Amino acid sequence: MILYTPLTQEEIFPEEENTNREYITYEGRSICVDKTAEGRYQLVQLLSTDPQDFLDDKFTPGRILP
Amino acid sequence: MNKEDEKKEDQNQDQQANSSSIVQKIQQLGQSNIPAAPDSNIHVLSIIGQVEGHIQLPPQNKTTKYEHLLPQLIAIEQNPKIEGMIILLNTVGGDVEAGLALAEMIASISKPTVSIVLGGGHSIGVPIAVATDHSFIAPTATMTIHPVRLTGLVIGVPQTFEYLDKMQDRVINFVINHSNIKEEKFKDLMFAKGNLTRDIGTNVVGADAVDYGLIDGVGGVKEAMAKLNELIGQTNETGKQVIQ
Repeated sequence: MILYTPLTQEEIFPEEENTNREYITYEGRSICVDKTAEGRYQLVQLLSTDPQDFLDDKFTPGRILP
Repeated sequence: MNKEDEKKEDQNQDQQANSSSIVQKIQQLGQSNIPAAPDSNIHVLSIIGQVEGHIQLPPQNKTTKYEHLLPQLIAIEQNPKIEGMIILLNTVGGDVEAGLALAEMIASISKPTVSIVLGGGHSIGVPIAVATDHSFIAPTATMTIHPVRLTGLVIGVPQTFEYLDKMQDRVINFVINHSNIKEEKFKDLMFAKGNLTRDIGTNVVGADAVDYGLIDGVGGVKEAMAKLNELIGQTNETGKQVIQ
């Protein structure tokens, strides 16, 4: 793999760090979620090309999925 | 009412307490009062952070994953309701092959495409920005043009050099084939000394990118939407002529 970027290698690959980020499908849309301490999912990012999806309350970043 | 029902009702109440909006309560009852927005005939593809390729980057990087975008591009091409696409770029570059894959996909889409470089479209963001039918750059946005580099242990220096050189040529060729910049000018910018502190290359700002022929125009959302609607109008007209 060759990265073509003005960033330094240290900026991209720092020391190891644990996260619980996942990509899941929710209501037919791909979303990026973080698993919270209580085992629920918190929406981080919506992956969609439809601008209307971003106006939908269901896909507001930070929302805890029911 | 038996005990089980009561339990369920308790759980329901708990859930309702947790939900932040009335919309969620309605959804839990299987109903939704969200007014159905009309389907947008223009879709938006945002390319943000690092363009991620074959290797998953550490999670603190904000990344755009090409395996997410490639199917979306096919869906856009296939969906007859979608007439055009806007690409929003604010990227610091990333994987060469993933970036070129995205750029080639965008260039080969039959529907009108317009890109806007917002904060920055650096390195591999450059070929992605020029891949569209028409490209815009915000007056304050920048694009860093610099050579492809390598750090770390190198085994087989001449071969690696050759490989990197070819990799760089792929980027250069794509950019000169999809924009109005001359190869000589682009290479001049790429290998310029004294512009970047720790590197050779050039940081091209807004209007300069247009002057060099790299980007088609300075503008933002308004200009991009106007251009995209104009392109959509042209495609629809030629479509009608073919039918007649």
